[in-house]
Amino acid sequence: MINSIIRYTIIFIILILLQLLLFNNIQFSGFVNPYVYIMFILLLPVEISPWLLLLISFFTGLTIDFFISTPGLHTAATVLTGFLRPYILRLISPRDGYDPGATPSMEIYGFRWFLFYTVFIVLIHHFSLFFLEVFRFTDFFRTFLRVLFSSLFSVIFILLIEYYRRDR
Amino acid sequence: MRNLLNFLARYNNLIIFLLLEGIAIYLVVTGNDYQNSRVLKSVRVLSIGVEKNISSTRTYLNLHDINTKISQENVDLRNKMERLIKSESQLFFSVTDTILQQQYVYTSAEIVNNSANRQKNFFTLNKGKKQGVEVDMAVTSGEGVAGIIVSSSENFSVAMSLLNLDFRLSVRMKSNGFFGSLSWDGRDYKYAILNEIPQHVIINEGDTVETTGYSAIFPQGKIIGVVSDFEKVGGDFYKIRVKLTTDFKKLNYVNVIGNLRRTEQKQVEKSFQ
Repeated sequence: MINSIIRYTIIFIILILLQLLLFNNIQFSGFVNPYVYIMFILLLPVEISPWLLLLISFFTGLTIDFFISTPGLHTAATVLTGFLRPYILRLISPRDGYDPGATPSMEIYGFRWFLFYTVFIVLIHHFSLFFLEVFRFTDFFRTFLRVLFSSLFSVIFILLIEYYRRDR
Repeated sequence: MRNLLNFLARYNNLIIFLLLEGIAIYLVVTGNDYQNSRVLKSVRVLSIGVEKNISSTRTYLNLHDINTKISQENVDLRNKMERLIKSESQLFFSVTDTILQQQYVYTSAEIVNNSANRQKNFFTLNKGKKQGVEVDMAVTSGEGVAGIIVSSSENFSVAMSLLNLDFRLSVRMKSNGFFGSLSWDGRDYKYAILNEIPQHVIINEGDTVETTGYSAIFPQGKIIGVVSDFEKVGGDFYKIRVKLTTDFKKLNYVNVIGNLRRTEQKQVEKSFQ
């Protein structure tokens, strides 16, 4: 228990630092900006109780908001993601269900499963984030395009990080 | 009572979700008005240390560009100086004014945090109240308009970038003096939109667009960009796309311009509004 708390704290710090120092500085043509920190919510144990998941999502979003000075924006997106995560896990659950105490990882459930899982979560997060940012539905398709492109890059980066994590 | 408890137990996650999401949305709606977000300001002090390090690395990488720009500016200044010295060395000249008529003060500042990829962009400068930077001062880069200071602390200040959906600026066509309002449509960081130029005006691609100085923030005649293309929309007005001269992705050093007579002008104007 203590062990996993320490592990998740380290993952949290690494992902936040990666987001702030590296990914926030990647700006392809002002259209694409990957938000990779969402991977933290992705990696939390499968059987984590929903209320704890919500609280953790809330504080993850709040941390990011503080550092990029966008009050509430990321918090709203991560809380929604945290709320929907259990439903998505149920939706794409493998045939024999999840093992008790399992964490969602590529190593256990395979590349295909992890890809679907990541795509769902990232799309939910980015969709709510980008639309909250513009706060209007005019130019719907332009914002939607931003969501798609940014999601594509986020997913690629998350898969790379997960791949690297597996090797260690 | 028991029913209520059952209800709470059953939907506790939904309730927590709605509560947290409510807090977040509340923050989005109220906190995005920059000046009002007190919490943010105090926290910015914490995050500014990190940002400073990032920006110093970036400045180092851009040294070459910065050098060329500075030497360019040097040449311009030298040319101006030459003209002034010439006029002073004339034997006879009439003094028309004995009181210093300076209206604008300039200071330079370094950008420690910048963004160009959001819909509401702000940047942070490394000068604040102690160095004389106040709210509602103008920010320009060497080439053109960059933004307006919206809040300042002791040693830092935050400026609303031109690349912000809330940014409005009164500008005019240099060629014929017709003025309109400039804003950003959130699409491309290289272009802004100029509205309210009537359709009987003749405009060409490549025409220069400059500030009017009506708002008492920017001095007159600061260059913003050139007309890139235009179309007639609705009844009476053009919709003109302006290619900005300032490259917001390479912004490192900026000038902050304060208007010494702003309060006076505003006071006089206020009495008629």
